[in-house]
Amino acid sequence: MNGLDRERSGPHGWATTASAGGSSEPGPALSVVVPLYNEEGNIHPLVSAVREALAAVESWELLLVDDGSTDGTAARALECCGADPRVRLLRLARNYGQTAAMQAGFDHARGAVVVSMDGDMQNDPADIPRLVARLDEGFDLVAGYRERRRDKVLTRKVPSWLANRLIRRVTGVPIRDNGCSLKAFRRDLLHRLHLYADLHRFIPAVAAATAGARITEIPVRHHPRQYGRSKYGLSRTVKVLLDLLTVRMIQRVRERPLQLFGAGALAACVCGAVFAAFAAIAYARFGPDKAYSVVFPAVSLLWFGLGAYLLMLGLIAEAALREDLPGHGRNAPVVREVSGS
Amino acid sequence: MNSADTAVSGSAAFTTADLRPSTVSVIVPVTERPEPLAELYREYAAPLRAAGHSFEFLFGCEPWARGLAGPVAALADAGEPVRVLEVANSAGETTLLKALAARAEGGIVITLPAYRRVESAVLPVLIARVEQGADMVLARRWPRRDSWINRLQNRLFHALVGRVSGGELHDIACGVRAMRREVLLDLPVYGDLARFLPLFAVREGYDVREVDAPQHRADVHTRIYGAGTYLRRLLDVLGLFFLLRFTDKPLRFFGLIGSSLLLGGAVLLLVLFIQRLGGEGIANRPFLLLGSLLAVLGVQAIALGLVGEIIVYLHAPSRRPYRLARTRTPRSEEAVATPVAADRQ
Repeated sequence: MNGLDRERSGPHGWATTASAGGSSEPGPALSVVVPLYNEEGNIHPLVSAVREALAAVESWELLLVDDGSTDGTAARALECCGADPRVRLLRLARNYGQTAAMQAGFDHARGAVVVSMDGDMQNDPADIPRLVARLDEGFDLVAGYRERRRDKVLTRKVPSWLANRLIRRVTGVPIRDNGCSLKAFRRDLLHRLHLYADLHRFIPAVAAATAGARITEIPVRHHPRQYGRSKYGLSRTVKVLLDLLTVRMIQRVRERPLQLFGAGALAACVCGAVFAAFAAIAYARFGPDKAYSVVFPAVSLLWFGLGAYLLMLGLIAEAALREDLPGHGRNAPVVREVSGS
Repeated sequence: MNSADTAVSGSAAFTTADLRPSTVSVIVPVTERPEPLAELYREYAAPLRAAGHSFEFLFGCEPWARGLAGPVAALADAGEPVRVLEVANSAGETTLLKALAARAEGGIVITLPAYRRVESAVLPVLIARVEQGADMVLARRWPRRDSWINRLQNRLFHALVGRVSGGELHDIACGVRAMRREVLLDLPVYGDLARFLPLFAVREGYDVREVDAPQHRADVHTRIYGAGTYLRRLLDVLGLFFLLRFTDKPLRFFGLIGSSLLLGGAVLLLVLFIQRLGGEGIANRPFLLLGSLLAVLGVQAIALGLVGEIIVYLHAPSRRPYRLARTRTPRSEEAVATPVAADRQ
């Protein structure tokens, strides 16, 4: 009937990935996933822009993901579903945030290639064929970067520039613009990519680390916002920094976490040894009665204590990893045939 | 149309003629201070029978409470729609509720404490609201008959919980709730979290409503608990705070605490270091100890958060970070009133 009815498969309102991405019916060549949160003014322009941009593509679907909007987003989207069977709507039970909305779209996309895009019409659907063409040259992920970005300089562009530099440095994945949603993915990459929390900002780094993705980027167009308002602010700096640490951890987790924590433990013990040396010197010079002989040893022991704690935590981390043995399941290495191709 | 949805396809699509009395399972966990269960059954079954519902009562008890369940087991022998289940290794009220719901036969489940909280006449009202499309409907004890001490405790508790959850519920402690059976089975609750069932439902995006129900006379007595009880409640709320907000991003929680501590410690140590360069002795300064302690605690908290992130990451393939909305026809879309709790981003 409408796009929604197809999504239901269980009594909980859950649809399974298997039924969505399964092989029972051949999917379209291309799925475009667009998370939407209170974007009622942008939906009709968006759908017609996508339709126009993909006129040359033989089969495609547009997956609108309504992330618990409180305005007329769902109603507008349903109108589009009724007018064009290639447009589908997924509605989340509440506002979960962009990452979860994107993951919902990925789970239900049926195309061999999946393109993600913002719903605010700042990305240009006309860039989609170029992304897909680049993907066909042998990449798993093609990220767009916004050339001549059309946003406020002080609150959007400067923080974004700093954040991208930092992300590049910390993750080692050379992507210019992590904030641009316009990306193309190969379907088998998405099977190995599981987004949660706010990881959508770090998709290239996570994809490279967990799925061994071959990544590249191309410039895409960027338009100023016409309808609705931006849902971002400056307040997320601390969150992004902590998330970055998480991503670094995810990159490292395939190796032995004990070695990471062990390095921290060693550093703590070095601190402890330094203060122990101070304590010895103070004891030799002033004897046992002075405050020196209390403060220095106490500080030294604190740092040694931290070393022991980190070592034990590293062991617990190893125990957690055992659950998903390295070399199996999602930690299985990605192997590609290189010879003869 | 979707067959699973016929019972709930939105209030606008409904007329009273369409309403078939739903099958209802009333589940009663026999845990703390149970009242005589046979009387409880008679009192609460009456309005259901009067409203023409087909219903069953499920009493669930742990082995120690088997004696208490004797009288209701006798009712079952006498042909009343009563079942008594013994849950051998129940870990708290929530496990009991879920085990009972899994064995319930009704499409709608009502949780009922083993003591009288509200007038029984509210049960058909709760059922009606679920039939009209709500996922979970809570009875709120209102008007209340008990003392100002009880009400004050209730107000304080809910003010605290409201801050943590962002929900605007007034009486989650009441325990009389109706919901679709699969909602209860779906909720990620365990152990002693039954109290917070509605908050988890709100978080999962379910439509949670409240219905006023006159407080039962038997529920009116001033309760002042021991200090331990209040302490446990406080811990519950802390746990709730973490579970509702940070289960999928533990480093946001531990990292924020840890980096503040680390920053404080680092500043102290830096000041001392500069003073030392200026020729001042620092070995007898308690601040050296404090600075080190803060830095050590900070690193500990961050490291713990990282281990949390490893665990969350490893579980990511088996979890789904969202829940789809139940299908509704466009026509009923307008009829869906605003949910109780505002969504937070």
